[in-house]
Amino acid sequence: MTSPPSSHSSIPPPIPVDTHPNRAQPPELDRIPDPNRLAPEDAYFAPSLARARSAPLNYDDSLRSLSSDGTLRPPRGVLDSGRKEPRKLGSTGGRRRRKGAWKKLLWVKQSYPDNYTDTETFLDHLQRNPRVRPYDFWPLVSDSTVIVQHVCSVVIFVCCFVGIVQDRVSPVSIVCWGSVGTAMGWILWDNWIWKEQRELSQAANGVLGDDGSSSSSVASATNPAGNDVQSNGLKGSPIHGLGLTMAGNESKEHSPHRTNDQNGSLGASESTPGLREFTSTTGHDMDEQDMDRSSLFSSRNRQRLSTVKSAFLIYFALLGLSPILKSLTKSTASDSIWAMSCWLLFMNIFSFDYGSGEGAGATTKFPASLSTNAAVMASTVLASRLPTTTHVFSLMLFAMEVFGLFPIFRRQLRQKSWTGHAVLTLALVIIAGGAVGMTLSGGWASAIIGSVLGSMLTALTMGGCSWWLISLQKYKNVVIGPWDPARPIIRRHWN
Amino acid sequence: MPYNIAMVSDFFFPQSGGIESHIYQLSSKLIDRGHKVIIITHAYKGRTGVRYLTNGLKIYHVPFFVIYRETTFPTVFSFFPIFRNIVIREQIEIVHGHASLSSFCGEAILHARTMGLRTVFTDHSLFGFADAASILTNKLLKFTLSDVDHAICVSHTCKENTVLRASLDPLMVSVIPNAVVAENFCPLSYAPRAPGHIPASPADPRPSPTPIGPNDTITIVVISRLFYNKGTDLLIAAIPRIIALNPNIRFIIAGSGPKAIDLEQMLERNVLQDKVEMLGSVRHEEVRDVMVRGHIYLHPSLTEAFGTVIVEAASCGLYVVCTRVGGIPEVLPQHMTTFAKPEEDDLVVATSKAIAALRSNKVRTDRFHDQVKMMYSWRDVAERTERVYEGITGDIPPEEFYGYYPGQGWEASGDRVRSFALVDRLKRYYGCGVWAGKLFCLCVVIDFLIYVFLEMWFPRANIDIARSWPKKQVEGKSRPSVSSRGQR
Repeated sequence: MTSPPSSHSSIPPPIPVDTHPNRAQPPELDRIPDPNRLAPEDAYFAPSLARARSAPLNYDDSLRSLSSDGTLRPPRGVLDSGRKEPRKLGSTGGRRRRKGAWKKLLWVKQSYPDNYTDTETFLDHLQRNPRVRPYDFWPLVSDSTVIVQHVCSVVIFVCCFVGIVQDRVSPVSIVCWGSVGTAMGWILWDNWIWKEQRELSQAANGVLGDDGSSSSSVASATNPAGNDVQSNGLKGSPIHGLGLTMAGNESKEHSPHRTNDQNGSLGASESTPGLREFTSTTGHDMDEQDMDRSSLFSSRNRQRLSTVKSAFLIYFALLGLSPILKSLTKSTASDSIWAMSCWLLFMNIFSFDYGSGEGAGATTKFPASLSTNAAVMASTVLASRLPTTTHVFSLMLFAMEVFGLFPIFRRQLRQKSWTGHAVLTLALVIIAGGAVGMTLSGGWASAIIGSVLGSMLTALTMGGCSWWLISLQKYKNVVIGPWDPARPIIRRHWN
Repeated sequence: MPYNIAMVSDFFFPQSGGIESHIYQLSSKLIDRGHKVIIITHAYKGRTGVRYLTNGLKIYHVPFFVIYRETTFPTVFSFFPIFRNIVIREQIEIVHGHASLSSFCGEAILHARTMGLRTVFTDHSLFGFADAASILTNKLLKFTLSDVDHAICVSHTCKENTVLRASLDPLMVSVIPNAVVAENFCPLSYAPRAPGHIPASPADPRPSPTPIGPNDTITIVVISRLFYNKGTDLLIAAIPRIIALNPNIRFIIAGSGPKAIDLEQMLERNVLQDKVEMLGSVRHEEVRDVMVRGHIYLHPSLTEAFGTVIVEAASCGLYVVCTRVGGIPEVLPQHMTTFAKPEEDDLVVATSKAIAALRSNKVRTDRFHDQVKMMYSWRDVAERTERVYEGITGDIPPEEFYGYYPGQGWEASGDRVRSFALVDRLKRYYGCGVWAGKLFCLCVVIDFLIYVFLEMWFPRANIDIARSWPKKQVEGKSRPSVSSRGQR
């Protein structure tokens, strides 16, 4: 039993957990697992197993193991003969060997018939499951929290919408709570960024010494700090490409991730000077750290200011747009709206980028914007079922917060502190359960019942799915042999 | 004992390629051996109807819908009526399909079994097991090969692959390599011996060709389509380093493909235009003329079932440097080749080694042609294929064909001689998979019903028998009249 990573969560980054097959691996798992019977625990406990290929009945083994196996099962006829074959093949080998050994060559004329099957060399280069890395239970469960978080936030959004439509909840209160949460998130976020930058600048100072010429290297060193941010910014910025301009603007409005946006689009003009200033000061003989810090501080304040500015801009833009959004899909029948928003939310859940956002995470099949766009469109079509402009405005704002900004915050939180991530997951699960309970039958009692039931159900599902995935691993049967296209190894040396 | 054989494949001339020439050469050599061979393929642009090639090789170009790279649309049953017509008209006994990607071949084998004919399948290519396309192809291959009488593979690696993919009994798979027409791939300085000349000894004192001096230019030839799986990336990475390491090296690259642009970019970046000559694609009959301009043939392919081209190169008297992938290590003896791992560094090292070996005149490339001629010939291939035909038709008793061992009894080979009873066939198909087995059985039953229907509505009696091409007298042995063989 491995302890869950939370135990060592106090110091930074335990997080990006090991679901990916190419993850770094403790060395004892690197050996080839038992090719004949693969269960995850085998890979842990079985001693390294070399395919001893010397004995002639190995062919028998391989054939039998193949036939006992799901994917490569021979048709009935072969199975039948498979039982008797080894004996006879063995005798073939015995009989033939007297005539001179068979060689696996085509250019020699051999005294064997063309359909001769050599028991020793036949399929001796076959490898089964050579690169399989078994999953652990707890890392798998902790990885699944990412999905749980997102599903829960979608559920919460839907429940809020239902509450608004049924007039149980005031839309203003929802959006107020959401905005308060967003603001808190932003403060946290801002803190992190600030700390990160300071650490980086300190590190740069330490490295730099007095070398004036290396200001460029400082700039490049600061970049990685911004990098993470920037990648997130990129995640957010595709919203701009969406036809719904309000969506894009909105995302800027409340921003835990306003720094990103600055880097990304609007505030670029502002942030860049700030950065330049910073680098230039660091480059300048490193007079005092104080001055450096003060300039950093001012640039940070400037960033904040611009974020707030753009937030307000977008806030009012959305306010102005909400009457249009209200009547945008009004003529569409309600049932098609429900169906459409259902599909869009499903699309959001399935195409959401659950990765850690690291490692140039662009390897996802769908662009991250697809998920966000689907969610925004879902909320847009839902908004047309609401009675007043205030309702629409609140719902849209809430949707921006939930689908645009919250995921970015969650990702950052997961990287920063695992405890916070776990707590957030728990809170989301409880809130979602409670919201579902309340939506279904109203009253606080049902909310509590719902949250308890929901948490249990979620825990069960997480555990069950992880266990299921692990137990499915024993059906994994990767066959690799000389027939597979080789992977060329090329040293990239462009000039 | 002569047979009437139908070769079925999607791939045939006018398209050119390895499978096409294999079918053609095998067919013409089988005709030389006294068999009657027809070829059934789909209609190509400008080639429709029935055609005759040299030696009375008859081609049926069946009009069919082509979807992708000359592969017909797989419609399981729609080929049956015309196929039955051809088979009855030509009194076919053995249907021999080629290439696993050819849907024509798969359908023909199914219908032939339904009609009670013996079937052979030749696999020319290697497939993996990992990606979705391979999984689908392998299922289809399993469907095709569940009921086939015998399979032929072009190399031992290919046999292992096919046995795994189609879950066949390994004894039902023969390995018969490709061959080359050695006369078409002579070295430049090759003086054919006078017909009456009898080689006195293996080391026939032919004047050794001019030795390569330390400063002479050595030309490396590459002829391949420029695709990823042909290892063009390796080639692109290796060429500048090979040229940098070895003075007086030139390259000739023939072939085209999507990677040609990368190759040209590499040339421009390293300013190697005067060292590397790009010829573009060459026709198959010009390949020899390109090859004889070089000393070394470089073959960086990443996967290859047999690699006919390296045999052709060796036959032209070129020293071969190739990657150790697929069936390539089986093809040529050690003294003709230098093997490399499919890695850039190793390829460079191997090529440099080969260059050094040539410069020191250790390699007697002038003898390669005669040696290759001894190793591979289509006549030999036809003989070995004929033995397969004899085995499946029962002209060679099964215990001899599959091996008879006294201690063993009869039951083991019971299923190798495949009975035509529908129940037995269904049993074989049913084992193909949980869902696939049932689907396949359904297909077989429908095929059988179609057959019954066709027999009723288009009775055999109404189908004319085609006259055979007049036979040459082969070695004094006259061919018995075809019509006496009748139907089973």
